[in-house]
Amino acid sequence: MMLRTTTRPNVLAGIGGWLWLAIIIVPIYYILVTSLRPRSDYYAENPLAFPANPTLDAYREVLENDFLRYFGNSVVVTLTSVAAILAVSLMAAFVVVRSNTARTRGIFQAFLLGIAIPIQATIIPVYYLIIQLGLYDTLAALILPSIAFAIPLSVLILTNFLRDVPKELFESMTVDGAGEMRTLWNLVLPLSKPAVVTVGVYNALQVWNGFLFPLVLTQSAETRVIPLSLWSYQGEFTMNIPAVLAAVVLSVLPILAAYIIGRRHLVSGLTAGFGK
Amino acid sequence: MSTTSLTSRPGASVRPAAGRPARRARRRGPSTWLAAPALAFFALFALVPLLGVVVLSFMSWDGLGTPQWAGTENWSAVVADPVARNAFVLSVKVTVFSWLIQAPLSLLLGVFMAGRQRYRAVLSVLFFLPLLFSAAAVGIAFKSLLDPNFGVGSALGVDWLAKDWLGDPSLALGVVLFVIAWCFVPFHSLLYQAGVRQIPVSMYEAARLDGAGTVQQFFHITLPQLKYTIITSSTLMIVGSLTYFDLIFVLTGGGPGNATRILPLDMYLRGFRSYDMGTASVVAVFLVVLGLAISLGLNRLSGANRMDSQMEGA
Amino acid sequence: MRRSAARRSLAVLVTGVLAVSVAACGGGAQPGGPDGGSSGGGGEATAWALTGGSESVFRSSFERWNGANPDAQISSEWFANDAYKEKIRTAVGSGNAPTLIFSWAGGTLADYVANDSVVDLSEDAAPLLDRILPSVASNGSVVDPSGGEGWYAVPNNQSQPVLLYFNQELFDQAGVSVPTTYDELLDAVEKLSAQGVTPIALAGQSKWPELMYIQYLTDRIGGPEVFQRIVNGEPDAWSDPAVLEALTKIQELVDAGAFGDSFGSVAADAGADTALVHTGKAAMVLQGSWVYPDFLNNAPEFVESGKLGFANFPAVEGGQGDPANIVGNPANFWSVSASASPEAQKTAVDYLVEETYSDEAVDEFLSVGAVPPLIGLEDKIAEADDDSGYLSFVYNTVKVAPHFQLSWDQALPADQAQALLDNLSQVFLKQISPEQFVDAMNATLG
Repeated sequence: MMLRTTTRPNVLAGIGGWLWLAIIIVPIYYILVTSLRPRSDYYAENPLAFPANPTLDAYREVLENDFLRYFGNSVVVTLTSVAAILAVSLMAAFVVVRSNTARTRGIFQAFLLGIAIPIQATIIPVYYLIIQLGLYDTLAALILPSIAFAIPLSVLILTNFLRDVPKELFESMTVDGAGEMRTLWNLVLPLSKPAVVTVGVYNALQVWNGFLFPLVLTQSAETRVIPLSLWSYQGEFTMNIPAVLAAVVLSVLPILAAYIIGRRHLVSGLTAGFGK
Repeated sequence: MSTTSLTSRPGASVRPAAGRPARRARRRGPSTWLAAPALAFFALFALVPLLGVVVLSFMSWDGLGTPQWAGTENWSAVVADPVARNAFVLSVKVTVFSWLIQAPLSLLLGVFMAGRQRYRAVLSVLFFLPLLFSAAAVGIAFKSLLDPNFGVGSALGVDWLAKDWLGDPSLALGVVLFVIAWCFVPFHSLLYQAGVRQIPVSMYEAARLDGAGTVQQFFHITLPQLKYTIITSSTLMIVGSLTYFDLIFVLTGGGPGNATRILPLDMYLRGFRSYDMGTASVVAVFLVVLGLAISLGLNRLSGANRMDSQMEGA
Repeated sequence: MRRSAARRSLAVLVTGVLAVSVAACGGGAQPGGPDGGSSGGGGEATAWALTGGSESVFRSSFERWNGANPDAQISSEWFANDAYKEKIRTAVGSGNAPTLIFSWAGGTLADYVANDSVVDLSEDAAPLLDRILPSVASNGSVVDPSGGEGWYAVPNNQSQPVLLYFNQELFDQAGVSVPTTYDELLDAVEKLSAQGVTPIALAGQSKWPELMYIQYLTDRIGGPEVFQRIVNGEPDAWSDPAVLEALTKIQELVDAGAFGDSFGSVAADAGADTALVHTGKAAMVLQGSWVYPDFLNNAPEFVESGKLGFANFPAVEGGQGDPANIVGNPANFWSVSASASPEAQKTAVDYLVEETYSDEAVDEFLSVGAVPPLIGLEDKIAEADDDSGYLSFVYNTVKVAPHFQLSWDQALPADQAQALLDNLSQVFLKQISPEQFVDAMNATLG
């Protein structure tokens, strides 16, 4: 079944493949056609039929209901978190790879422990902490814990990558009298670009789609991000299901765009650290 | 907002000890300072809360006032609570069944996607689509899709499809497992696809010359070669299934009754609906221990403790 | 030398990250705590209120106030119902409470008072309290820790009795008249089922609409005293025969197919239960009066053509309770935070006395289909009413009710309320028997 040479087509596999496709596509098709359905036809028409009078009203309604603001919040939170994650993780990975002392090994082990902790489990103390810091219901309340929880895996992936950089390169930088920051900037960053992109994409997806932190740590419309906005639209648009599903479609568009532009990066980002 | 405390604090503990400096690292190693920001973030927002959750599990706090010392009260309350026991049993069920559903499906799909036929390449691109949706989006979409009055089931006029999928306690868990699979199988098939692609074609060539059929090739070559992929993917599935929160929260909120109230939901509802932060923290501690135990156990199982070997290497 | 350079750049980096994240939330108003937000002038106050319902009335009343009082501004934040309930408690607990705290009175208010989180309004609000129907206003009166009694909350919007809404067209088709007794209700259920419609829409996924049945049935069978004993925390108070009978009747309705076979996935937050009624899929729905604006917005023709009927919950033959009793939310309430500055407290008190039920506010309430719980409002309501007489019906129902029972989930402490919702939903799903429910709930009274 893996061969370029002519083999018997595997009928069973083909049937299975098409069946799974149906399972994947029907819900997505349903989301799309329903979001194009006029609100009044939602009760009357067959949910899977293409709408008789397709309309973009639902999209207009969502966009008029602050969707762009939530989108902006999501962008700010995601970009800030990812930038900070990359900066601090890259520095930490540099230390772990280059100074092999008992202390750095201890640091690395502490980070590894973090990979196995389910985030949800610490939400109550995080919540308490954020309130004590006076950050409740700010975007910073989402950014800071997001950074913290992304560090372990990011450091692990970057460390693995940096290990493969020949020692001589670092040494030659040191001989040239370059400081740590310059070495980081001029050598480590360019060399580890593929890993940095992977870690960046992976964490961007995590933060972008995160639901629990926004649910617990924010409350007002000013600080609402997209996943939470879907949840609140559901309450706001009472039985306006087309609008709710239009919001779902809009929430997927940015990632779809990313997928179309950089499919390989997105796939590698998704499967970050689980290869080999 | 004092940032100085964040930056100057760790210094006391991180500055290289005045003992015998490592002979080689003195010149070349970067200062440990560079790891400080990562450590500071991680300590403040991950390690401190981790300790905090243990401390809180021995306190009673109703969200008003200040936490009070309560001894082991919360622990005995949770142990005796049928709701918590139900949540634990459900979590185990979700974990086991998720794996039983997703692992074989992902493996077969991964093998399928690795095939060289044109149509498979096209299908693979479509198979990827669910990965673009956030869990909240998936939950909301399936909620309206499965609505017995206005959803797809009512439309097709097929009786067995118009069931009360999310409202019937005997069906809801199955539906949740299905939606979870819809969400996560694509990711795991990607892992398997990558794994299959790494198997040398020559092995299959040799097997075919020996007269092995498709099925035999699968069992004698593909499966053994995918051993590590299976372990990695299973670890992610099992640890992941402990933390399915957002999807179930949006889809059923733990209902109907308590039919889908798995541990993370139980924790959330105790903490943020009943305002009983103490018992919620007990459930949280339990989750942490479970997560760590499973990760470490699977790590042992796989024999190759990769994380350690990475430290030794270099 | 080099290390200090690294340290400097590190400090710059962390400061930068924090600066960006803080700058990012510029504009996201920090909920005013004692030191939150822009505490410029002394008299500035903050308020948190709910979206939906009579939101527009509150918004314009804040605008009027701020226009007239430039040196005592009130800034407001708006929340969805569920989110608000989860947030306000912690805000109050952490000293970040808004000056004006929106509530349902009941168990939560008692907790606030026990924690000294809210101030006694007895003197300041007396003139306002005198204008309000006593059965509604009395919810704001709480026994404080010192053993005295004080008014810690003042009504701030419309009365929200729970009523039986129905689709007149479906009733006519099935030859059903409005049920006035429980037996007539069972009979109607049978006739409507035979017609192939769901007799009663029930948002079982949201759980709280199920409370309305146990509340009404218990009250009709045993009177308000039964639940009073539960609130008082008397041991085994749930074992009252009236509770058991109410639960038995609930399961009888479920068995009779009163709620159809898919109530477990209907959600009230999305208005799915009222949609079932106006789309003709279900004949009745038992809901709070706050759903009337939903009917108006989502199915204007349905309401205007007189197809929407409404009635009080049926009586139960041989029951102790007065059939004129109602359950629901007598109103929502304002309390004033004890952690606010004296100046902010003064602003908040002045606002609630002057603006809460000013003439403009009353007119606006009536225009959105909401009925304020004020004494002597008959004429005004008759003027504002449409053909259906809905506003007058709601007003009179509230006025003549001997007892207005606050929703049980609000009246009880939070942990008991959540256990009640969970166990009740299992009764509706036939997962537990009435006796098991009673045992589980008695265990929460400890």
